Amino acid sequence: MGISKLLVANRGEIAARVLRTAKARGLVAAVLRHASEQEGPAHLIADEVVMIEGPTPVAAYLDIAQIVEAAKRIGADAVHPGYGFLSENANFVAALEEAGVTFVGPTSDVIDLMGDKVRARAFVEERGFPVAPSAIEDDDPATFVERARAVGYPLLIKPSAGGGGKGMRVVREDSALEAEIETARREGERYFGDGRLFVERYIERPRHIEVQVMGDGQGNVVHFWERECSIQRRFQKIIEETPSPALSPEQRLDICETAAGIARAANYRGAGTVEFIYAQDGGFYFLEMNTRLQVEHPVTEMVTGFDLVAEQLRVAAGEGLSAGQADIPQNGHSIELRICAEDATADFRPAIGDILLLDEPAGEGVRVDSGILGGGKVTTDFDPMLSKLIVHGRDRTEAIARARQAVQNYVILGVTTNTGYLDAILAHPGFASGDVSTGFLAEEAETLTAAGNDMSDLLMAVAALSDERLVAEVMQIPELHRNMGEWRN
Amino acid sequence: MRRIFQIAGTETECALLHNGSHFVLNRPDGTIPCQLDPAGMPGGYVLRSGGQVHEVRVAVGPEATFVHLNGRTYEIGRVDPAERLAGSDGAAADDRIVAPMPGVVVSVAVKPGETVEEGQALLVIESMKLETSLCAPRDGVVAEVPFAAGDSFGLKANLVLLAPEED
Repeated sequence: MGISKLLVANRGEIAARVLRTAKARGLVAAVLRHASEQEGPAHLIADEVVMIEGPTPVAAYLDIAQIVEAAKRIGADAVHPGYGFLSENANFVAALEEAGVTFVGPTSDVIDLMGDKVRARAFVEERGFPVAPSAIEDDDPATFVERARAVGYPLLIKPSAGGGGKGMRVVREDSALEAEIETARREGERYFGDGRLFVERYIERPRHIEVQVMGDGQGNVVHFWERECSIQRRFQKIIEETPSPALSPEQRLDICETAAGIARAANYRGAGTVEFIYAQDGGFYFLEMNTRLQVEHPVTEMVTGFDLVAEQLRVAAGEGLSAGQADIPQNGHSIELRICAEDATADFRPAIGDILLLDEPAGEGVRVDSGILGGGKVTTDFDPMLSKLIVHGRDRTEAIARARQAVQNYVILGVTTNTGYLDAILAHPGFASGDVSTGFLAEEAETLTAAGNDMSDLLMAVAALSDERLVAEVMQIPELHRNMGEWRN
Repeated sequence: MRRIFQIAGTETECALLHNGSHFVLNRPDGTIPCQLDPAGMPGGYVLRSGGQVHEVRVAVGPEATFVHLNGRTYEIGRVDPAERLAGSDGAAADDRIVAPMPGVVVSVAVKPGETVEEGQALLVIESMKLETSLCAPRDGVVAEVPFAAGDSFGLKANLVLLAPEED
């Protein structure tokens, strides 16, 4: 079952990150590319680039038959799905299995189970792990609205097949319930092709804490500690860190062992993440399990010293895990910032543009997992996340200081990004105190997007002096006129 | 030589001059001397202005200049006042609802001829998996809705046109 050639069925920063580990392990590594897609770091690292086709680039990356065919054609004996796209698609896993290609991830049964939020919740609840009060449409669609009402306000509506915050709605008043259910259903149908919903009690000022787990499929499961992911905009994380500043050592062990217990109950294989809602009173409830590598996995790597992709490849190759629980430390503190092409002052509207200048930070304790190259274009074809900046420090204070310094030195010119906004979050006393909830960014929106010192004079001077046409015109004016010219104001 | 600079939504008209020994920027609040010299890094410059020295990184795009200064990135829109006068098509900015992003129309709530109030939702669009409602910038009458539900549109496409206001 050894692996000698790996196809990475993904793109952007995660493809580059997986390719690096694959090559470091001596594998021949290939990656996909759609014709309309820019060259990225992944294409520079890969030994082989396989072109895929589709009406849109996203459609190509979701085309199971085409990707399985590509894997066979190039002689790949394994496929790593990254995150997103086909990473949690049981049909993809089954199709690879049929083609005799190893899927780097869990079995299709477990993907199916955890991919259905309703079944996953029931599975967890039946085994005695904590879940929040809820109502499931499928149990009895005719009484769904009534049962939703009985859960109590505020409540949260979610698509059963959902993920990533898509289609999620908080309802605080009964009068809005039915309209919000319809909106969520429409979004569920559009994003996931499945309009079934469920609601659960919305925990006020919750934290989002998740636990990295890894199983060998033979009953051995270890955890790689928790990640705090409460800094979210539009239900999507933009800053993650580990350890969580909220947990005492006892609570940390409790939540991590609960997660490992859930994975063990599912006889989990590969890397996975158990997500919890953590209430202000210290209670925590199972939210969902993601059966793939997470975007924010690097913070875990920084504090444990383990390469999670290497562990995934070991498990897929039948070599088992490289360590037992006692060998997995949590050293120092790590923070990840998601660098996105978006305008934080305009409701995080995605931005497009050309990357005219790119200079990524480096230095002690600084890691950049980037999906972009200078000269590239940022389009609307894919998610607005461009790269991830990850830092490590001896403690949280040092990690925050390093993160601020690195994000301030992250130069991306030509497209609007959230680097200034991320720095404003890191500088906020509420973030420094660690007393945050998933509502933090919305509550502090005004402070976080406030204009800084007025730099207009300096900026206008730069814009004028770097405008070659303007400077040339100014210098062409005869000296006499120069001395007297344009003083009309 | 004049330029209109747009910074965070505010427009300022300036003139760049050279007095024989150095550049000065003439802006409504007065005149400031300024000097920009290349530094070692790609796009790197040293800016001297008003007794201060700053390191900046600069990239000049077709319509805007991007500047990294003191750990922050800024976008400065550049407009040549002469071109603005020549290029104006006569339609007022609040007569049209312009696509903030390329995307797809999800639903249209109004028809031509319909009277709308400021803030009323006119249509829902989807860009990069996010749904956004676009609302009327003022009271008025819908003149044209060029796109139907399911249609794709490009950046800055006119999604709804309102009948011009009578003076």
